[in-house]
Amino acid sequence: MTEEVEGKKVLVIQTHGIETPRRTYSPLFYAMAAAAMDMDVLVWFTMDGTSQLKKGAAEKIKLEPRSDVTLKTMLERAKEEGVKLRVCQQSMNLFDMTEEDLIPSVEVLGAASIIELALNADLVMYF
Amino acid sequence: MNDTVNIGKCVIRTDLHYLVDSHCWVRFNDDGTLTVGITDVAQNMAGPVLHVYIRKKGMRQKGQNLATIESSKWVGPLKAPVSGEIVEANLALEKDPGLVNRSPYGDGWVMRIKPLKLEEERGALLSGAEAVEAYRRKIEEQSVKACAEVAECEPK
Repeated sequence: MTEEVEGKKVLVIQTHGIETPRRTYSPLFYAMAAAAMDMDVLVWFTMDGTSQLKKGAAEKIKLEPRSDVTLKTMLERAKEEGVKLRVCQQSMNLFDMTEEDLIPSVEVLGAASIIELALNADLVMYF
Repeated sequence: MNDTVNIGKCVIRTDLHYLVDSHCWVRFNDDGTLTVGITDVAQNMAGPVLHVYIRKKGMRQKGQNLATIESSKWVGPLKAPVSGEIVEANLALEKDPGLVNRSPYGDGWVMRIKPLKLEEERGALLSGAEAVEAYRRKIEEQSVKACAEVAECEPK
């Protein structure tokens, strides 16, 4: 590790949802790695990514057939590591979701917020 | 003298100090430094460790990242149990991260640090029966499965 990284702002944009389980895992893993390295990490769920955050959805997504790790496990671990989870208001509307449909500790933000977050981030990862 | 206690398949050494919530163990060395690593419970939960990304120098405050440990299903930090200066990193882990699995309390040590304010911060470290009990509670609450399902644990 050659440079100080703590406090850097990392924005992970996740556009993939429960229909494509293999695309759900890595972004959360990278987010957790960055959080473990004391960075300030936020995952922004938009477009199909919104479906990951619907109550009851993530526990049905098993990432490996033999593993007991589900997408819910990953989302909970990410939160435990301090990763902030945010969801796009407009995408929620697309899925007919309200705040009551969301798993705990997810905040809803509007489109302007993502622009500001991206402008202020040291690193943006888009999936 | 037996200085290990088994909780399920996980081993706790009673001659070490622990920050149970961080899954971190600490050994007090004669030269005043501390050797730090992750516990057998943590390596069982993580599964085969694939990478250990280690800080090699610098000052660390208590709770800051010393290393980032990755398996195929988990990634997390080894947090500084106390504030101090990194004096030695276990570079063998870069070539053989599996040492953390095979010998978490031995060759799989991660870091040696020179503490800055040990007297002030050591109160958070648990040892002996107190540490075992705290870990037993934590395992019951969170990770019984991880400790129960791991089939093999090589000598620590």
